[in-house]
Formats: sequence, structure tokens, C-alpha cells
Amino acid sequence: MSERRRIRKVLVANRGEIAVRVIRTCREMGMATVAVYSDADRGGLHVRMADEAVHLGPSPARQSYLVPERILDAAARTGADAIHPGYGFLSERAEFNRACRDAGLTFVGPLPESQEAMGVKTSARGRMAAAGVPVVPGSDGPLSDEAEARACADRIGYPVMIKAAAGGGGKGMKRCDRAEALPALWQTARRESASAFGDDRLYLEKFLEEPRHVEVQVFADESGRTIHLGERECSVQRRHQKILEESPSPVVDEGMRSAMGKVAVAAARAVGYLGAGTVELLVDARRDFYFLEMNTRLQVEHPVTEMVTGLDLVRMQLEVAEGRPVPRQEEVERRGHAVEARVYAEDPAKGFLPSPGRITHLQVPGGPFVRNDSGVYAGWVVPPFYDPMISKLVAWAPGREQAIDRLWRALGEYRLQGIATNARYLRAVLRHPAFRAGDYDTGFCTRYAKDLLPAPDPALEEVALVAAAVAVHRRDRERAEALAARAGSGRGASSNWARLGRARALRGGRA
Amino acid sequence: MTRYLALLGGGSGEEPLEVREVGPGLYEVKVRGRALRVDAVLAEGDTLSVLLEGTSFVAEVEPAGSGVKVRVQDSVFPLEVLDERRLRLRRPAGSFSLEGRQEVVAPLPGRVRKVLRGAGDEVREGEGVAILVALEMENEMRSPKAGRVVEVLVAEGEAVEGGARLFSVE
Repeated sequence: MSERRRIRKVLVANRGEIAVRVIRTCREMGMATVAVYSDADRGGLHVRMADEAVHLGPSPARQSYLVPERILDAAARTGADAIHPGYGFLSERAEFNRACRDAGLTFVGPLPESQEAMGVKTSARGRMAAAGVPVVPGSDGPLSDEAEARACADRIGYPVMIKAAAGGGGKGMKRCDRAEALPALWQTARRESASAFGDDRLYLEKFLEEPRHVEVQVFADESGRTIHLGERECSVQRRHQKILEESPSPVVDEGMRSAMGKVAVAAARAVGYLGAGTVELLVDARRDFYFLEMNTRLQVEHPVTEMVTGLDLVRMQLEVAEGRPVPRQEEVERRGHAVEARVYAEDPAKGFLPSPGRITHLQVPGGPFVRNDSGVYAGWVVPPFYDPMISKLVAWAPGREQAIDRLWRALGEYRLQGIATNARYLRAVLRHPAFRAGDYDTGFCTRYAKDLLPAPDPALEEVALVAAAVAVHRRDRERAEALAARAGSGRGASSNWARLGRARALRGGRA
Repeated sequence: MTRYLALLGGGSGEEPLEVREVGPGLYEVKVRGRALRVDAVLAEGDTLSVLLEGTSFVAEVEPAGSGVKVRVQDSVFPLEVLDERRLRLRRPAGSFSLEGRQEVVAPLPGRVRKVLRGAGDEVREGEGVAILVALEMENEMRSPKAGRVVEVLVAEGEAVEGGARLFSVE
């Protein structure tokens, strides 16, 4: 590695837990860090943890974290030589990636050309098919109109998925079961896609009945060495959002892992990949798997891979960015089982309504082999402008059952007051017999919706009544004492009794 | 001994409670006909450590609207715990139907600062009719229903006892 390629200062173009996560590794590697923040995030943990911080603009992401010029300007002002984009925001915007390169900055990620190739889902499908990667049956490219969509759907057979060519994260994605429903769903998907991605091109894929969602972590260095770090099972999803991930997947054995790994490596090679990437695969009931998409960035759920491989993925990203090699495939060892739960500021009892606001009290779980990646603290106000994820709680154990029990235990230790969270819901998932048996797919949360929101345990109602009575009693007593103390202190300028008392004293009378 | 009435969430019932502090952090709580010895310590934030006959419970009692939300293990109980004063404040505006003539009484001893409406005036539900100063705070005494003020039984400046009739609306 030439001295010229050494990264000295990293600007982390993100916020919340992932910014904190990246800053931690930078510090361990002796790299200086620059945080960026919006108005709402001035008090954010990432701002405190970084060596320098630059204000980007107003709270909405569109006016701060999503403005490439502001990020580049912050890098220029602070003399950063690399930009780590985290996930979301600008992480998969090829034009931002290119702008970093043009400004002489190292973008910690793949080349913009790879992001472009994978960014448009339809061209990615074509490339993958050409590279021998199995893809879900569907249209060859974006469909020009509804009529073309109908013809395509008739050919591949219902149900079909309408998807955004520029899409990701479930936006602009509609399941269509019948030809009659297609026109309305097509229009909705077009509008959603246009507003979410500024691109209304759509394509069709055969809808796989309740597939599993398994993804493979890949890594590539400049020499072209491309390896995989095994899979993550991400089938526990609510409205297409992952909420619980584990590695290994209960359905993947050594043979299947190696086959999936080969496919993922072929997919990465086909676009000249560099750094960390994730190949998402759909697995059907027969355990056949198909390419879904490639995420050209660090994934939210990367810690489960870190826990089973012992590798720091952010460190590897930075090393690759400095031109250093990734380990050889045979050097990658996997050990034990890791499970991650995403704790969201949302209220399961109110239809998962986001619950931003001030965290009045926070006690984070601890104990052996438990990791909490978060960007919040007691007193922090979870802003309403961004993703409401507040923490990722991860547990590792030698075996799956123990890892699940450990995460369940740790989630029960979370004390987060002031705002609602989905922690109880996540605990119910971890306790569910189907999940514990490993017998689940992307239909899990819908199928067992009732089980996952259990009624309160009547045996605990009496304890709750007792606790409430004591709490109210204490509060009333404290208020009464505070009132008495104020009255006794004589400082109560607003109190007529006090004024009267002073007046009497002045006249020489007895108060 | 303080008496409370706990209203269980979703209108699923009410439970009378009695609390007596018998020592520092020690209480006797009467609930459902039983007298329990309760050892309760405020541990941190809104977290209470409750020892009930040797069993250790963690109860998070967070304010939620006009009541509290009590979380024990994975169960959450929305509750409203009212003492006798709050119960009276609440009853006239309660959920039962407000047919006919409604009397509004002073929830606390205090002094009438202002009378806003006189006999014969039309009022909306929730509209203030008089202002009562109690505990150094102004309390707007509102009409429990839309209708006409039938009579006003107090004058500005008058001191009133808790429970004294203030006005009636029909």
C-alpha cells in the first residue's frame, strides 16, 4: 500500500447508530472523524463522538443528509480524505459516489459504475442472468405501459409483483393477484416510485409464494479477490421491513451455503465489485434460490455477520478503500449463531405508529455476548424526520436456541421510557414456536399477527394495580411536601400569605 | 390511609385501592379484598422495584395522558388512578349521559374569582361558567353540557367549601 492511499480523516455522511458504528472503528484504526448533522441532530450522539462536526442544514433529510454539495463542502472544509456513506441516504447514489471521486475523495464503497449497474433493478436482472445467476421469472426490462404489463403478467402467470426499477426498501412495490386489479395497482406503484425515487419506471416479477429472504455478504478488494462471509436470514419482516435477522439461516446447510456463496460472488464479479456488498436472494419452499437485488453498501444487519465471523466489516471496508486485501475465502471462519433485533420507536399497540419524542430514561441490556448498536441516550429526542430505528440489539451463542434465548433475555432488560418501542413485539417473535422451529418465511408477521401482540397477562394485573397505587401515592406525597417546602421557605413572592406575613413583621406585629 | 379508584384501560372495569405507608418504602395496599404488604423502591426513571411477599417485580409506571401506563414484564396496563378529589372532578363530566339538570360543585375549598355567566345564559359543553381559585391555581369551572344556566349560587369573591354547589345547567 502506498503512503498516498492512507486514509487519515473520514467524513461519515450519515447519522444515528450507523454513524456511531463507523466512528468507533475509525477511532480504533487511528483515523480522525468528521460528523455531519442537521438542525434536529445537533445533540446527536454521533456529533459528540466525532473529532469534528459540520452543520449541514435544516432537519428534513432532503435539505441536509441528502444534499451531495453540502457533504462535499463539509469534506473540503475539514480536509477529510474519505467519505463513509453508511446505509440509506446517499450510500447508493452513483452520482454522489462519482462526485466524491471527482473531488479527489475516497468513497468507502464500490465504484459508481457497479452501483449504476445494480441500481436499476431491471438492468441488474439482465446482467445477472447473463452471468449465470438465477433470477426470478419476470419482465426483461422496464415495461412501457399497463398493456405491456398485462401481457407480461399473462405470460408469467399471477400472482405477480410490480416493482420500481429504481427501487428498494419496499417502496413502489405491489403484489397483484388478478388481471382486474392490475390497472389500479400499476398506477399506485408508479406514483409511489416517482415520489420515492424520482423515477417511475416499473417492471414485473413472478410473485413467489411466501419465500424466505436470505442474503449473502460479499467482499471484494482491488486485486479482484471476491469472497463471501456466509448468509443472513432476514425473513421476519413487517410491511417489507426487516425486524429480526439471524445467521446462519435455519434452512441453509453447508452445501447450500457454498452454492449461494458462489452465486453471490459471481454476481459481485459481474459488476466489478469492490468493498462490502450484499446479494439478496429469495428462497422458495423447495429451497431453490433466485437473485433479488444487490445492495451496494454496508447493510443495517451487518453485525450478525460480524458476530459469527469475528470480522469488523467497517474495518474491512476501510482497508479495501486503502487498497489493502480482504482475507482469502478459506481464512473466513464462521462460529456459532447470532440474532439481531431492530428496536424501533413505534407503538405496536397503535398499529406501529412511529413514536418520536424524548427518551426520559434509558437502561441498555448487558451480559455475555450481547451487543447494542445505538445512537441514542437518556434525554435525547428521537426526531420525527428520519427512520425511527433506535437500536440494534444482537446476541451471540454457540447454538441457535441459546442465541434466541439470550436475545429474548436481553430485550427484556431494555428500559426505555418516554417513548414507545416494539421491544415486546420482538420478544413475542423470539418466543413464537414457528420462529423457534426455524419454520418461518416472509409471511410470518402477517400469519401470526395475533400471537405477536398478546393481551396483557391477567396474573400481572394485580401487580400493576399495586405499583400504580404506590406510584401515585408517592407522587402525591412528594407534591404535598414540595408545596409545603415552598410555603415554608418564604421565597414565595407570589404568595399573598407571605406578603401579608412580611407586612405584619414590618409593622412590628406577630406573623 | 388514602383511597383510590383505579380505572382499567379500555373501560374494562374499576378497582378500589387503599394505600397506607407503614414505613420508609413499605406500604400496605388493599386490593380486591386482600391487604398486601408491599416493599416498593423507585429504582430509576419511572422504574419501581416491587417486592410482593418475596417475589421481585419490576414495574415501569409512566405517565400517559391523564393516567399511567404500567409495564410489568411483557404486559402493559393502561390505568387511571384517581383519588377522591379527582374522582369528583371527573364524575360530572363522566361518561354517563347528562340528561336533565346538572349541578356543578367546587372540587376543592377555594374562592370564586370570577363569575363568567349568569342565570339564563346559553352555554356550550365545556364552556367556563366560573373561575375558582384553589391551591393558588385558577380552575375554570365548566359546564358539563350544552344548555342554559339555571342558577348561579355563588358571587365573585365568595369563599366556598369543597363540594359546595356553584351553578346548575339544564
